[in-house]
Amino acid sequence: MSDLAMTASVPPPRRRHLLPWLYLAPAILTLGLWIYWPLIDAFRLSFYEWNMLPTAEPKFVGWQNYENIFALQKFWQSLNNTVIYVVGLWPLAVLLPLAIAIYTHDLPRRSRNVYRAIIFVPLIIAPVVAAAVWRWLLDPRYGLVNEGIGTLGYRAVRFLQDPKIAIWTIIVLTGWKLIGFSTLILSAANANINPSLIEAARMDGATRWAVIRDVRLPLLRSTVLFLTLMTILLGAQWSFSYIQVLTGGGPLGATTNIFYILWDFGFSSLSVGWSSAAAVILFLGFGLLAFILFRLIDRYSFHDN
Amino acid sequence: MNRKTFLLGTLASLGVAFAAPALSQSTPRTVDQKVTISYYNYNLASAGNGADATKRLIAQFEAANPNIKVDGVGAAPNDLTARVQADIAANRVPDVVQMVFSDLDFSVTNLGAVALESFVPPDELAAHFDGISPNGRKLGVIDGKTYGLAYTFSTPVLFYNADIFKAAGLDPDKPPKTWAEVKAAALAITKKTKADGLLTGIFGPSAGDWLFQGVVRSNNGGVMSADRRKLVFAEPAAVEAVAMLRDLYDSGAYTNLDVTAAMETMAAGKAGMYLQTSAVQGFLVKGATGKFDLRASTMPRFGDKPQRPNNSGSALVILSRDPLKRRAAWELMKFMTSKEAYTVITRDIGYLPLRTDIVNDPQYLGDWVKKHPLLQPNLEQLAILEPWESFPGPNYRQIQKMMMDGAEQAVFGGGDPAKAMKQAQDSAQALMPK
Amino acid sequence: MTIDSAVSAPLRSMPAASPRARAKGKGRATTAIAHLVMVILSIFCLFPVYWMVVSSLRPPNEIYDTSLWPTGASLDNYAYALKAIPIVRMLGNTLVVSTVVTIAQLITGLLAAYAFARWRFRGDKFVYTLVALTWLVPFQVVMIPDYLLVSNLGLLDSLSALILPHLAGALAILMLAQAMRSFPREVIEAARMDGARSWRILWEVIMPNLRGTIASLAILVFISTWNEYFWPLLLSRSPENSVIQIGIQMFMTSEGTAWGPLMAASTMASLPILFIYIVLQRQVVQSFMKSGIR
Repeated sequence: MSDLAMTASVPPPRRRHLLPWLYLAPAILTLGLWIYWPLIDAFRLSFYEWNMLPTAEPKFVGWQNYENIFALQKFWQSLNNTVIYVVGLWPLAVLLPLAIAIYTHDLPRRSRNVYRAIIFVPLIIAPVVAAAVWRWLLDPRYGLVNEGIGTLGYRAVRFLQDPKIAIWTIIVLTGWKLIGFSTLILSAANANINPSLIEAARMDGATRWAVIRDVRLPLLRSTVLFLTLMTILLGAQWSFSYIQVLTGGGPLGATTNIFYILWDFGFSSLSVGWSSAAAVILFLGFGLLAFILFRLIDRYSFHDN
Repeated sequence: MNRKTFLLGTLASLGVAFAAPALSQSTPRTVDQKVTISYYNYNLASAGNGADATKRLIAQFEAANPNIKVDGVGAAPNDLTARVQADIAANRVPDVVQMVFSDLDFSVTNLGAVALESFVPPDELAAHFDGISPNGRKLGVIDGKTYGLAYTFSTPVLFYNADIFKAAGLDPDKPPKTWAEVKAAALAITKKTKADGLLTGIFGPSAGDWLFQGVVRSNNGGVMSADRRKLVFAEPAAVEAVAMLRDLYDSGAYTNLDVTAAMETMAAGKAGMYLQTSAVQGFLVKGATGKFDLRASTMPRFGDKPQRPNNSGSALVILSRDPLKRRAAWELMKFMTSKEAYTVITRDIGYLPLRTDIVNDPQYLGDWVKKHPLLQPNLEQLAILEPWESFPGPNYRQIQKMMMDGAEQAVFGGGDPAKAMKQAQDSAQALMPK
Repeated sequence: MTIDSAVSAPLRSMPAASPRARAKGKGRATTAIAHLVMVILSIFCLFPVYWMVVSSLRPPNEIYDTSLWPTGASLDNYAYALKAIPIVRMLGNTLVVSTVVTIAQLITGLLAAYAFARWRFRGDKFVYTLVALTWLVPFQVVMIPDYLLVSNLGLLDSLSALILPHLAGALAILMLAQAMRSFPREVIEAARMDGARSWRILWEVIMPNLRGTIASLAILVFISTWNEYFWPLLLSRSPENSVIQIGIQMFMTSEGTAWGPLMAASTMASLPILFIYIVLQRQVVQSFMKSGIR
């Protein structure tokens, strides 16, 4: 596993069993109390109909809550949209940052740092604020972006109102927030590549592209995989605030994703059954996805040093 | 220590409330000891006139009732019921709640809203009801009992931009009265100006279903049978209303914008007509002042059928279990639905007065109403107002969402309206209480 | 000091200018294109922030104007926002919550990461996975049970309710565990030889050397706590005991958005964090460059 673990040889056996748990206790208690305990309770409550009130008895309804959710017309639409979100987000959260990281690597250090600092700024703006400003900028009637499009002689684009465009708008806004973070991580990984490897390749007469293809990309693979995983597993969550503030899942359900629809039908109305079932579906669904992805990675990649 | 006794007290009173429904004897007639009640109000959750006016009203009430302290709790309208529910679950039962009308049924069947008749002596109740518009009072009645008194409520109003009307060659003194006239006017506007013809607040995530209900009802349709068991929003009359909206949209007369965008487009002077609750009036006036001539008309009707608007907004509801608190809550409710309070609510927050007799009374709204003609169509409709129906059962919100999803699909989605409504009705019917 | 030298060493050794020296003509064109792309991207990233500030300075009746610069800058929106809600108090609350949460997560994170990195014990992988899996538990799932818990503890309408559920976080634990695993073992061996106990090794040997990771982690946790919205929204009862994100949201009402004050409040909410970022920017970027998240 780790260098550190190897070195931790033989303290007295009994204390050795107890000690790590002492160190873990604060974290385990916090996460257990505030996250896992409610989650476990959700598994149980997903089979009940209950309004949470102390005066009302939870009523056992079997799989009813799950059936209700799977019967939602929007459920399958949202599942489909979730895939679009992930696929659309990937170039913004991984590919573009990768290109920026490699491309700007050769820029002078000062301007490179300025650029990287600037594209990090969206990350520190609160999602609610960001959504509000963007809604204003993109408004078809008085928004600045459409004013610009108008002066170029085109018709106003209904960024958030046209069902065909809205989802891409949300994707770009989510990506806007992520580019800086991904770029930083990839730049870090890129900067950590041993320069002698690159020099050696250049000595062999490799072109710039060949260096990227044969040296940099393979060495950046684990970071790219990590970001890809994050995008697949968390992309739907990242878009949530934007969907909520900007479109509410509309128009015509074009921007709902699995996360939003379960929130909309489950958590926003406090029927414990719906929301618990929604929680279980989300957790198990993404848990399973994570399991499969990690399996695939283990199988198809060998660890680079 | 304190908290424990409080919790025990609440629990005990809970026991009392549910063991003995005939509580009217035990509710005192006056509040003769110090008591603190909580008041859940969504105007307090935002900054602006609504919050200021509400705080002022609370202060006035406390000054007049030195024994009662009011603890104001703010939560956004869409989250308010959830908050109330969570607090009841946590054994902190709210005393007075400003409940959105679509949650009224739920608050009666699930949150333990108290019928006024069950604890207020009949003579006192009759005295308070005197002067209240009968149509307005009906809004808070379920199964013959008064659970809520309309507090901040209003009707659908057709706002229009008189300058755009002129530019399109329309007479701003003769606003369209029927949907057919609305369509003609909107098409004239889109043809001759760069503005949108018609915007509405019917659809959208935060729209709810109140305006939709009004449109459907005006075509003599409905959303639910009289016994509140069967959904009927896919019946021909309702579908016809939906198809009319669909035709408006297809013809280009009606532009589909979400609730906020529509409001802002109208306020920015870039739309001809806008059908929405009169509660947005303040916002529109702010945008229009010095820029364009904002006017208002009543909700459009279908041909010769009279329009049948229903209300939007909220009612005050009492949830207290403890007799003393219940009395204090009633005192607060009486104050908040008094002539003085409605004067403030109408003038400063922009809603309708439940007591119509203050409209022409110079002591209250008399002068103000004369200076603010925009309120007129709203007042006209108060006389023909019908209740905004709330769906029954624990899945009421999901049912409402399904209906609105279906209608949105029918109007903007391009499919067959009848089919879309039928499909929505069938899946929603499964969630109705059996 | 240590960080700076540690970080700048690899940076300096980067042959940043060398490719240009090698292929001059082609290199210059590439560089120009790189600059162009980056400038466009920078505008895309910065413009909304700029727009927020500019709009907050517009007089109320020009709020829908689209000029890039307000014709007559006015502080009316700020005056109104400050009067309408207790912004200073809310900013103070947010600062307290964010600071406490950041420190708490660093401490619990260091302790837990140390346990993972230093020992192998029964169930270590399982616990590690459970920590990582908390990422997959959407907050909305635990929101209501947590609300009831807070309420039963008698903490509604208090800042501690905003802090307690965030005393530990997966990001801190995982990131620190990663960083510790790549820590040179010789140093620890040496400390052990000197008879240092595990507790002292953590605080005196490991922690000082993780300053870069700790700094970037602190920034991330601070930012995300500062920007947190849903949990405070559920808890908020009175503006005086709420955080600034709730204050911002108070200007977006169902009866219309008060754009001017909203932008003013947003600017005031973003400024502190923007300021912290600008001051620590070099530190943050460099610590990312050094440790990264792998």
